[in-house]
Amino acid sequence: MPPPQPTATPALELRGVTRRFGTHTALDDVDLTVAAGEVHCVLGENGAGKSTLCHLVFGTLPPTRGELLLDGAPYSPASPAEALRLGVGMVHQHFSLVPTLTVQENLLLGRGRRLRPDRAGLAERLGEIEQDLGLRVDPAAVTGSLSVGARQQVEIVRALLDRPRLLLLDEPTGVLGPADVERLLATCRRVAATGTAVVLITHKLAEVMRVGDRATVLRGGRVVGGGRIARTTDDVGTLRDDVGTGALSAADLVPLMIGRDVRMLDPVLAASVDVGATAAAPRPGVPVPGERPPAVLDVRGLVVEDADGARLVDGVDLAVGHGEVVGIAGVEGNGQSELVAALSGARGPSAGQVLLDGDDITRATPGRRTALGLGVVPEDRHHEAVVPALSVTTNLLLGRLGAYRRFGLLDRRALRADARDLAARFDVRAADLDAPLSSLSGGNQQKAVLARELSLDPLRCVVAAQPTRGLDLGAVDDVVTRLRDAATSGVAVLVVSSELSELLATCDRVHVAYRGRLSGPVPTDAPDARDQVAHLMTGAAA
Amino acid sequence: MIDTLTDLLAAGVALAVPVLVAASGELVGERSGVLTMSVEGMMLTGAFASVVGATTTGSALVGVACGAAAGLLAGLLQALLSVVLRADQIVTGIAANALALAGTTFGARLLLERGTVVPGFDRVAVPWLSDLPVLGPALFQQTGLAYVLLAVVVGLGFLTSRRTTWGIALSAVGEDAASADRAGVPVRRVRFLAVLVVGVLSGLAGTQLALAEVHTFTDNMTAGAGYLAVVAVIAGSWRPVGVAVAALVFGLAQALQFTLPALGVDVPFALLVMLPYVLALLAVAGLVTHSRPPSGLTTPFVRLGRTA
Repeated sequence: MPPPQPTATPALELRGVTRRFGTHTALDDVDLTVAAGEVHCVLGENGAGKSTLCHLVFGTLPPTRGELLLDGAPYSPASPAEALRLGVGMVHQHFSLVPTLTVQENLLLGRGRRLRPDRAGLAERLGEIEQDLGLRVDPAAVTGSLSVGARQQVEIVRALLDRPRLLLLDEPTGVLGPADVERLLATCRRVAATGTAVVLITHKLAEVMRVGDRATVLRGGRVVGGGRIARTTDDVGTLRDDVGTGALSAADLVPLMIGRDVRMLDPVLAASVDVGATAAAPRPGVPVPGERPPAVLDVRGLVVEDADGARLVDGVDLAVGHGEVVGIAGVEGNGQSELVAALSGARGPSAGQVLLDGDDITRATPGRRTALGLGVVPEDRHHEAVVPALSVTTNLLLGRLGAYRRFGLLDRRALRADARDLAARFDVRAADLDAPLSSLSGGNQQKAVLARELSLDPLRCVVAAQPTRGLDLGAVDDVVTRLRDAATSGVAVLVVSSELSELLATCDRVHVAYRGRLSGPVPTDAPDARDQVAHLMTGAAA
Repeated sequence: MIDTLTDLLAAGVALAVPVLVAASGELVGERSGVLTMSVEGMMLTGAFASVVGATTTGSALVGVACGAAAGLLAGLLQALLSVVLRADQIVTGIAANALALAGTTFGARLLLERGTVVPGFDRVAVPWLSDLPVLGPALFQQTGLAYVLLAVVVGLGFLTSRRTTWGIALSAVGEDAASADRAGVPVRRVRFLAVLVVGVLSGLAGTQLALAEVHTFTDNMTAGAGYLAVVAVIAGSWRPVGVAVAALVFGLAQALQFTLPALGVDVPFALLVMLPYVLALLAVAGLVTHSRPPSGLTTPFVRLGRTA
């Protein structure tokens, strides 16, 4: 690695950059300056324009207006290939490694025109990276078989192969367990120390306070603030200002991010931006401790296998009682999705039993499950929960259109009336209920799904998978409140989420998924609940 | 009995060559994520063009060049449809086959006279080796064109194996185009070139059939050999050796229609004609192999939809 070059020219500069999608403005007149050798955090909620910013810098999208400069020279990459050539490396939010190739093949991909792969050169460079940064990868491993943390390690190594002047990381910690997050943040610092400009895109404040030199806060596509970040010596749980230096503290950044003061925040909201408000929220309707209520949802020894017979869900036992909220935490890809699929009837288990109020629904069709009172909020809204091209009305009442039959035709008037009623009750904001569901914002789409599933009659149990993903804070608050209200009214609620803070603030007990098994539960009122869960997420109990 | 076996193998290998050549092209295309259903039409076009080229110039080599060029043009059309315009690969492929069948049948009426001698390739017996019992004629008494094409197939197999950067890029594009793009691989260019390879090899396969086997052009002379090539890729689990074995099995199944009656076995001829296609059906139904196609097969690549 060459020593850092002291230079006044910023490594990356955005001047008045705007990006529109149709009528929607994702980025509005954004200015950003990133110096070589610093870790620059771009902070914002979901939908603030962070990902769009990445796309512009990495060449997957052109800006509508404005200009980008790389090391002072005009920079307008037409493709990722060009961005890479010009010295921009990127670590993607969702991995961009080909799962069927080996690590070595992934690292050799897209590197020049020579026919014979330069394996020796690669090995040499990997050795350098290991020595300089302590990053190690196993070249012979098949990428798809690696753990999430190891896969991300490969992504980072690949981004660093060509000694980029700018390393862009888009929400890199979303899929990682606590130990892997620590390692990643340390890597960011080390990379910056070699003179590379590091841009860390995130919505987690704790990370910013941990590694950031400077921050820029985006809200609604605009830059709403930024500056140098105050150095905190201890964990971010305690917010300490470098008083009088003008540096930003966490308490300064939160209001910028969400447009509200941190003290005004609901504990759930505070938890979702990870400002360190770990105290469990006071929750209404908690059942009397001690005696556990009889289980409404009772899962016994559930096993789900993939086509090759590998156990994705490996003997899960789980019970959720009347009025209970039970959470399943864990790094994504530890069998949570398959567990939810088996509970919802989308996927057949190969062993085990699922009981709903004593009825065996292990092999029941999704329709039968709905009739018995099982509401499901699936993980992938667009593919599993709604038909985006159909109207809001139809989507709201999709599972029970049969009830609106009159002379063999649909009674549209009754449909509309009920849909209007539901939309009002669940605060689904739609200009026109006959418009396609896809015209609603993500938050309102999710509210529509909740409205449909929570208005089932009878409703005994709700399974919600990643219910707040991709939603802005207001919608998160609404969704969480609805689920808690359902529990208060006696419904058994199971929430699967990768947002640990949210789970701790919403649930009575939290299980941790690790490699298809569940460990725990950890009662959330325990003072060290967060540490216990974080410990289990590393596979400690498996 | 030994003689019949020798004949069966010789005929089987000869019939397998066009299927193998086309299938190894199709393999490259499918590994890049493009399903080219128009192999049949490209073969037919190649066969027609090669015969026209050979008869008008009197040179078999010019015929080969014409066959390859016609395949290239057909591949260009298919690449334009599948890769650039992102049209449905199966529908356009089948439409192209119908067009090729009609076009060559019509063209044959216009350009070819019945009974003209078509310059072609004769069998070359490799001295000594072709006298080996049973396998000798099958392996060492093929046409010069067949040997050259087999060398091309082997070379292509090596160039697109995972031992080369091209092969790695090809696999990456077919498995996960978005990731390949982010790694800097020109996804569309790779796929475009892959479909051109399918075209050229299909054209050459048709040429082999017309100039080295049948020595003339007849309407619909490929008679499903192109579809067999597509099936051979599936039955061979998208691996070169597997594809070669599958092509050989299809060739032998076709050769049975000549050798079984010669042995005096009383099987209805129609059943024998059906045999390769029945095998193909069984293969596609997954009874032979359970392997997985490239994840991105038939999915066109668009860099980014709308992301907020």
